[in-house]
Amino acid sequence: MDNLQLLLTGFISVLTLQNVLVTMLGALLGLLVGAMPGIGSLAGVALLLPLTYKFNPTTAIIMLGSLYYSNMYGGSFSAILLNIPGDSPAVMTAIDGYPMATKKNRPGQALYTSNISSFTGGLIGMCILTFMGPALAELGLKFGPAEMTALLLVAMTSIGWLVGSNPTKGIVLTAVGILIASMGMDTLTGSPRFEFGSIYLLGGVPFIPFVIGTVGFAQVMKLVDEKDKKIEANLTQKLTIKGSMISLHEFKRLIFPALRSGFLGTFVGVLPGAGATTGAFLGYATQKAFKSEEELGTGAIEGIAACESANNAAAAGSFAPLLALGIPGSGTGAVLLGGLMMWGLNPGPLLFTNQPEFCWSLIASLFLANIITLIIALGIIPFLVKILTVDVKLMIPCITVVCIIGSYSSTNSLYGVIIMVISGMFGYIFERNGYSTAPMLLSFVLAPLLESNMRKSFIISHGSIDIFFQNPISLVLILILFTIIATPIVRGIIGVVKNHNKN
Amino acid sequence: MGNSKFGTKNILPLVTLIIGLLFSSLGFFKYGFWDKNIGTLPGFFPTIIGILLIAVSALAFFQSLKEENNYSKLENWYPVFAVFLIIASTFVFGMYFSLAAFLIFWVRVYEKCSWKTTIITFLIMFVIVFGAFGTWLNIQFPKGLIFNAIF
Repeated sequence: MDNLQLLLTGFISVLTLQNVLVTMLGALLGLLVGAMPGIGSLAGVALLLPLTYKFNPTTAIIMLGSLYYSNMYGGSFSAILLNIPGDSPAVMTAIDGYPMATKKNRPGQALYTSNISSFTGGLIGMCILTFMGPALAELGLKFGPAEMTALLLVAMTSIGWLVGSNPTKGIVLTAVGILIASMGMDTLTGSPRFEFGSIYLLGGVPFIPFVIGTVGFAQVMKLVDEKDKKIEANLTQKLTIKGSMISLHEFKRLIFPALRSGFLGTFVGVLPGAGATTGAFLGYATQKAFKSEEELGTGAIEGIAACESANNAAAAGSFAPLLALGIPGSGTGAVLLGGLMMWGLNPGPLLFTNQPEFCWSLIASLFLANIITLIIALGIIPFLVKILTVDVKLMIPCITVVCIIGSYSSTNSLYGVIIMVISGMFGYIFERNGYSTAPMLLSFVLAPLLESNMRKSFIISHGSIDIFFQNPISLVLILILFTIIATPIVRGIIGVVKNHNKN
Repeated sequence: MGNSKFGTKNILPLVTLIIGLLFSSLGFFKYGFWDKNIGTLPGFFPTIIGILLIAVSALAFFQSLKEENNYSKLENWYPVFAVFLIIASTFVFGMYFSLAAFLIFWVRVYEKCSWKTTIITFLIMFVIVFGAFGTWLNIQFPKGLIFNAIF
């Protein structure tokens, strides 16, 4: 019951006119950016981060939460109407969403189903977060430097291992992110290191320009390939709010898959590296095991509901390890974590005790954002085709301008713009060659925490590695770490042996 | 567009390998690794990560020999050239002018869009840059040498 009381306190601080307006602004912008094909939630959140400068820390964090959460809604719009997923979790939504919109000529109902399911999944995720977050933080309080080091290693490795097609490349960029973060000042002694004689680098590589460049500007360079592609919605009817309503029977069809996927997605979201995409895939796969009125893949409401609910629940569930342990579950989560840290919020086991106002305001703002996003998402249905078919060739200069002013405004100097463009170039080259940049962002954000915990562990143990094997928690985590590392290697060896035996 | 010649795919792991080498050697020799009285020194962590990077980069390099290269077009780099031009132009003409010139040039001249599209795009971006960032967030964008000389 304590948690509910604290959540109520969060609501009291969130429900001011300014905060509600900010949540609405965040929800609207997050929805629009998330919906535009080609931008995606990661770049979207990164590009919109500078907009939080205007506010006090609590309001800024509320806006960040609403931006992040509404981005998850937007990805499905282009998947349903254009068959172009706005982000990776929406890939599964397109399987049933697009046929329902085009073959069955029911685009409004597909969007309605997606919005209601996202709301349901998100709500389940947030309710579980309310209880699980503090419990996880309590467990986190038992963590010393050795346990924290092991946990951070598990988080970084699993994301490096799971995101992208090649685990080796994931680890390469994880290490690169850590080294970039080590530039500037030593975390324990404060002495300068790797600043290469530059006074600018003494403060380290600034987070916002680095993120805007790596994901936002790299995306601009990638969009050049698609600038002549004509984006058209293959719809024969005009979208209206009234014409998009679903019947009671259809609501009954969507609610059970949405509830089931909501629970499943939340627990997937808690796992580092799994995130919303895995949630959506699992939600859809689970739905296959259950009865659907229409066959999945042909425009079934159950298919849309299962994956949309799961991905939003995963987005909400990922807040539990993010707030309680300071470990984000995805690249977008890492950007959000960086934004939270920028505003003085230090996610980790002590957050719920030391900064309860911040913490519960953020959780309450997620509930509020869920409701507001649903209302806006349903309200913009008539304008969606116009929004989604913005020419890519116009998006390129516009996003470039946003990248420049966003990175300038975070440093108040052209140094930020230079960092942005250099990060963008590398981000683009890496992405083009099959390296996913999400692990680099994650490790960039988590590196100071990992370094201080690892060094403290070795100082306590006088340089002995035994400290990681003495405590049951760190021992289990180290075993998990070895399993994560060994699984793909063993699988690869088995594959080679099987091929060899066949030949 | 892919081929199996030595290209970016092979060069990238070599670049990260050099980065690993640089950080681990500077970390170990310049910033220090371990002191028996103090414990870990500033170079401790970067040295370990640098060594890890060397190892995984070497592995990535050997894997890249089997992969096909995927070359980008010169056009993909136009936004980069544009940003560097905007930075240079900002020193002289200020940021507002440079961004406006870039936007109009890109939309009207490079993409050959109509004046109507150009003006609408310009106005939307004007609201974002001047309205949201310049006025609302009160960001002081550089005014450039010419503006500063006149006023």
